[in-house]
This record gives sequence, structure tokens and C-alpha cells, in this order.
Amino acid sequence: MSDRNTWMKEIAETGFFLDDLKLYLDTHPLDQDALNTFAEYAKKRRTLLKEYAEHFEPLTCDCICPENNGSAAQKHWTWCGGPIPWDREASDWAAAAAPNFVKGGQ
Amino acid sequence: MWTYEKRLQFPVRISKTCPKTASLVISQFGGPDGELAASMRYLSQRYTMPCKEIGGLLTDIGTEELAHLEMICAIIYQLTKDLTPEQAKADGFDAYYIDHTSALWPAAAAGVPFNACELQSKGDAITDLTEDLAAEQKARTTYDNLLRVIDDPDVLAPLQFLRQREVVHFQRFGEALEKIKNSLDAKNFYYYNPEFDKQFVKA
Ligand SMILES: [Fe+2]
Repeated sequence: MSDRNTWMKEIAETGFFLDDLKLYLDTHPLDQDALNTFAEYAKKRRTLLKEYAEHFEPLTCDCICPENNGSAAQKHWTWCGGPIPWDREASDWAAAAAPNFVKGGQ
Repeated sequence: MWTYEKRLQFPVRISKTCPKTASLVISQFGGPDGELAASMRYLSQRYTMPCKEIGGLLTDIGTEELAHLEMICAIIYQLTKDLTPEQAKADGFDAYYIDHTSALWPAAAAGVPFNACELQSKGDAITDLTEDLAAEQKARTTYDNLLRVIDDPDVLAPLQFLRQREVVHFQRFGEALEKIKNSLDAKNFYYYNPEFDKQFVKA
């Protein structure tokens, strides 16, 4: 994966899958299949977030890695960089990588 | 505690300024069945919930509602950020504009400010979970009403996503209510308050 849009699509899909599965597991804590699936996707999410932060900006506090941005001699604070979530541009990835996400219909 | 993830749960990408639509969608921010009331309802109820798994569910759903609040605010923000005073006047957004310009302020579609009386935290597990089930249905009805009167597909997409989440939350709260009932005397669920009369709750 090379571009921001594809990365963001993967992060959004994996993140939402886990959001939903988390609520399911809250009321079905012994479902072995769901537990295994959760573990698999949680691992995928950690990798995606880490890689995204290395290429672009961190999306979570745990992914802030100033040493990977800028030169070694001039590190900078990356947490405030990147798109602001509520700006239209922050969701441009969906128009490019998942147009059916952002076009609703009656 | 909470940490922030710098993205929306579902994308919001609106091209057309429309203060009229914003003045309707705002109800899901500060209205009677909006996301602010939802998050505060669940996050307030969880402390005294006698079953810790249900306290956990309230935390997780309450947290997701905060993410929904953020999406609703992003919709309103994008619908009004390029607003002109003329558009505000023509679209009936002028009264809101006078007090808040194009900033976000929690109110219902009819202009009533957010009020904590829209939610309950009663300290009785059965009462509170029944309230939560009703709250999810009321939020779903409000989304259905919005979906009927709005025709911009950019706005409909996130609203359709949010409507679906209300259905899922209703399902999970239904399961939580069944779980609480299982820990009570099946002959009379409603005789005791499981949060207060703890001697009647099975371990
Ligand atoms: Fe909900």
C-alpha cells in the first residue's frame, strides 16, 4: 500500500469492524470464534496505525513517533499535523478509495 | 479516561452549503434524542450498574456515541462553514447565526437548548436499561425523519450509517436487560431495585 487513501480506507474498515465486534463481545464474552476474529483484526489495526504514522501522521497518541518525521537533526511534533477530522478534506480518502461510503440514497 | 483517535468513525464529505439542513441535523447534536444526550445517559448510568459487564457495555456504547456526536458536528460544520448572511436569512438560520455565528452549539431542531432533563439516570438497572432501549429507538426514529426530508446524498450517507448503529445498540441493550433479569428472581423482576436492594441479586 502506498497512498494515504487506501491506507485510511483500511484503517476505517478495520476500526469499525472492531468497534462493532467489541459491543458483540461485551454481551457474548465466551464466543470463541468472535474472540479469535477480534484478536486477528486487533493485530491488523495495530500494524496499520503504526505504518500510517511512519508514512504520514499519527492517528493515536500511541503512534506518535517524532523520530520518523523530518530529519534526525530537526525532529518535529507530528501529533498536530495531518488533516483535521471534521474537515471535508479529511474524508477525501473515501471518495477516492470507497465512493459508495459517501454517497447515500433514499 | 479517554484518548482521542484523529479520524471520524465514518467519513463526512459534504460539498454543498445548506444551513436549512444543518438546522435539522442539529437535533442529533443537542436535541431530545441526540448523541450528546445518548453519551451522557450511558456514561452517567454506568457507575451504579450492578453487573460489571453491563457497566462495560455502557462505557463502550457511551464512547461510540461521542464519536457519533463528532460526526454530527462535522456534518453541521461542513454544511455551514461557507455560510453567507444572506443564506442564513433565506434558510431560516439567521436566529441561530446571531447567537453562534457558524459555531457548534447543542440545541434541538426547534431551537430548544440542550437540556439534561432529556435523559435519565435513575439508579435502577431495569429502569435504566428500559430507558436505554427507548432512547435507541427514539434516536432511530429521528434519523428516519431526517432521512425522509433530506435529499443531499453527501448528508444521507453518514446519517444512514448512524441510523444503523442505533439498531445495533438497541440489540446489545436488549441482551444486557436479559442478562440482568437472569440474575434476579424470575417470579418478580420488578419488585426489587437490583442496584439498591443488593441482597436479592444472585451472585
Ligand atoms: Fe446509539
